Amino acid sequence: MITSPNDFVPARNGALDEQWDVVVIGGGNAALVSALSARDHGARVLLLERAPRVFRGGNSRHTRNIRCVHDYTDAYYTGRYPYDELWTDLGGVGTGPSNEALAALTVRESETVPRWMTDHGVRWQPALTGTLALARTNRFFLGGGKALMNGYYRAAERAGIVILYEASVERLGFTGDACTEIVVRVAQGRRRVRAKAVVCASGGFEANIDWLRRYWGDAALNYHVRGPRYNDGTVLAQLLDAGAERAGEERGFHAIAVDARSPKFDGGIATRLDTIPFGIVVNRDGRRFYDEGEDIWPKRYAIWGRNIAVQPDQIAYSLWDSKVHGLFLPPMYGVSAARSISELASRFDLDPLAVEETVARYNAAVDRGPGGRFTMAERDGLSTVGLDPPKSNWAQRIDRPPFYGVAMRPGITFTYLGVAVTEQSHVRRQDGGVFHNVFAAGEIMSGNILSTGYLAGFGMTIGTVWGRIAGREAARHARG
Amino acid sequence: MPVDDLFAEAERQLIVCNSCRYCAGYCPVWPALELRSTLTRGDITHLANLCHDCRDCFSACMYTPPHEFDLNPPKVFAQVREETYRSYVWPSTVPGWMHGWRGVAGWFVAIFVLLVALSSLTGGAGNSTGPNPGSPYEILPHLVMVAVVAAPSLWTIVVLAAAVSRYWRDTHGRLRDLTRPGVWARTLVQGVQLRHMRGGGQDCDYPADVPSPQRRRLHLAVTYGFGLCLVSTTSAAFMQEFLHLMPPYPYLSVPVITGTVGGFGMVVGCAGLMLLKRRSAPEPGTPSMRRADYGLLWALLILSVTGLLTLFLRTNPLFGPVLVAHLAAVIVAFAITPYTKFVHWIYRLLAIYKDNMDKLA
Repeated sequence: MITSPNDFVPARNGALDEQWDVVVIGGGNAALVSALSARDHGARVLLLERAPRVFRGGNSRHTRNIRCVHDYTDAYYTGRYPYDELWTDLGGVGTGPSNEALAALTVRESETVPRWMTDHGVRWQPALTGTLALARTNRFFLGGGKALMNGYYRAAERAGIVILYEASVERLGFTGDACTEIVVRVAQGRRRVRAKAVVCASGGFEANIDWLRRYWGDAALNYHVRGPRYNDGTVLAQLLDAGAERAGEERGFHAIAVDARSPKFDGGIATRLDTIPFGIVVNRDGRRFYDEGEDIWPKRYAIWGRNIAVQPDQIAYSLWDSKVHGLFLPPMYGVSAARSISELASRFDLDPLAVEETVARYNAAVDRGPGGRFTMAERDGLSTVGLDPPKSNWAQRIDRPPFYGVAMRPGITFTYLGVAVTEQSHVRRQDGGVFHNVFAAGEIMSGNILSTGYLAGFGMTIGTVWGRIAGREAARHARG
Repeated sequence: MPVDDLFAEAERQLIVCNSCRYCAGYCPVWPALELRSTLTRGDITHLANLCHDCRDCFSACMYTPPHEFDLNPPKVFAQVREETYRSYVWPSTVPGWMHGWRGVAGWFVAIFVLLVALSSLTGGAGNSTGPNPGSPYEILPHLVMVAVVAAPSLWTIVVLAAAVSRYWRDTHGRLRDLTRPGVWARTLVQGVQLRHMRGGGQDCDYPADVPSPQRRRLHLAVTYGFGLCLVSTTSAAFMQEFLHLMPPYPYLSVPVITGTVGGFGMVVGCAGLMLLKRRSAPEPGTPSMRRADYGLLWALLILSVTGLLTLFLRTNPLFGPVLVAHLAAVIVAFAITPYTKFVHWIYRLLAIYKDNMDKLA
């Protein structure tokens, strides 16, 4: 917080001393779309990105595709994806949309998103072998999310949007229902920025371990954060402190199983593990705790972060044998191999007897099962019988050495807690009004739409749809 | 970096790449990587030579330095290609005094002196004042010229043929697999368009992190320019041997037109590429590859400028010295070709061929 007025850098000619129409806080997809949209609607725009240029882009730099309604096919879509189907898919995740009206608006508006993106310089990746599973419903960015963000930053520079890197917003000051002060820390010190309208597109708080500890205790110390370390939720906290209404479950987060050796922050896509359905998963005590074959992997990978997060010491071990080794993406840090189950258990400091017993009980339950042909292409029905928890598909004996394993941790992608918004993306207040010059887009307001669960590529849909709205409405507000 | 460490580092990086796969749309390197769950030296060499150095993957990568994963595929591929260019030719270690600027300049002077000596020994005029101004054979008799150019050319052809065979054995296997016309047709179409330099339609992030078609277009100017110069030389040989028409050829003849257009193409292309290179980002490359690039571009520039001068100065007293200089440049170029960046397209074509073959398999 601010210690003394002298801490402020004296006014100098520069971006921070001007009066801006719209200041966008954030540097990811929602922020860039907001900035471009505000500029398209005639506003003079300043964008404050907290990260250095090389790490710009927030969580968006780790994304890969976007999910939009489309009634056509082209080189990038392998099939149509009508409104009703996306609406049904959205209703099928978790407990369904938090705010049906805003969710319906998001799905409806998504239809014009690909065209808008193309018009703003985005390039697409043709449907390739590796993307076919999702290429009907999702459109892939050529080169992934960082390439997308590079393109948006270039478009923003061309459009005359002023971008400041390593500019952290520390405080938002309010007078009545208006934000009247934005305090920014830059290399030279703190500055006050003046803006007629503010777009908050600064993401969630998933990289703020202390904040996570409020809900999860010391378990949060063992979570890995898949995105950049900059998402500490400062702006979200400022809005909530100023009386913004909450949207989204405060304990809600999206997490997957990542390699326990991956970095604490910013490991992104490369540290994820796809080994789980091929064998069994045991916890610190050498016991199984969840059905590893519940459904096809793309539909289930997002529950394993939470599964591991609630295990003792927030760690779990995926184990398999040589029958299935090589059928999945090789983990980037390699795997442990051993000639026996007990040797493998010792590698992970697990109780060899407990793990041997777990494997023996599992193998016996496989033997009681129906048998059949093993295939990962579908739910193959190879299940255990008389085992708790069961393994419903892809259950084969673990008996052919060498045996393999890898240790896993929960890797948090993003948090759900955010601020409630109107259809114009105005940030709502607990007293029933709105902050009339404050708008929100992206993860900071995704809790309005997603309650729990996640639909691949839909975070980018929310960021783009609401970035367009927030930029447009902020520009209208600023220009009267 | 020791060779073992280089391949280990390339493998480390490619394992991370294979866990990500976001770059799959840029070029065939990444889909080819996806087909391999373990990587041999041959695989890494193949992927490195399939890389056209467009650098789009470097801009798109979340894991480039200062990220702790420390990925830089264009750089590690450049390092592996340097190893390819070095290790597959014989001898793989050229004595220090023979290469570098001083070595090449020394060779040039020596050959120039040799040609002048040959010219006077064989009764050449030394300059173009004889009955047939502009005819090269007044400077140096045809047979002598053929002999001094053929010797280094033969050397180069033998060395490169051996390199091709060794490279193919290491990256693929049976030489017999190199005889599929359908695959060659595909490969040549992709090669002469530099299609894999298009970054999946985005163009190269070169000289810095803004996509641009400049590098590919300038490279094509050099490629086609070089091709036209070859057409010029062979058409001249054809006119002489089969049509019994002796040089100099009229301005409106195949050798002169193709040579002029090709020469200008090379001059523009080489100069443009050098200007771009001066502004290019150093991170995705290596200083030694940069030197090799400059070396090749200067050599091609000297060849094309001296070649154009022999055309424009053919009625000038300077014709003799210029022709001898051009010939000396050609001879030196032919002799040192296997040890220069010139060889890059040979391995790259083989890599494209293998990639096409693997896709059909």
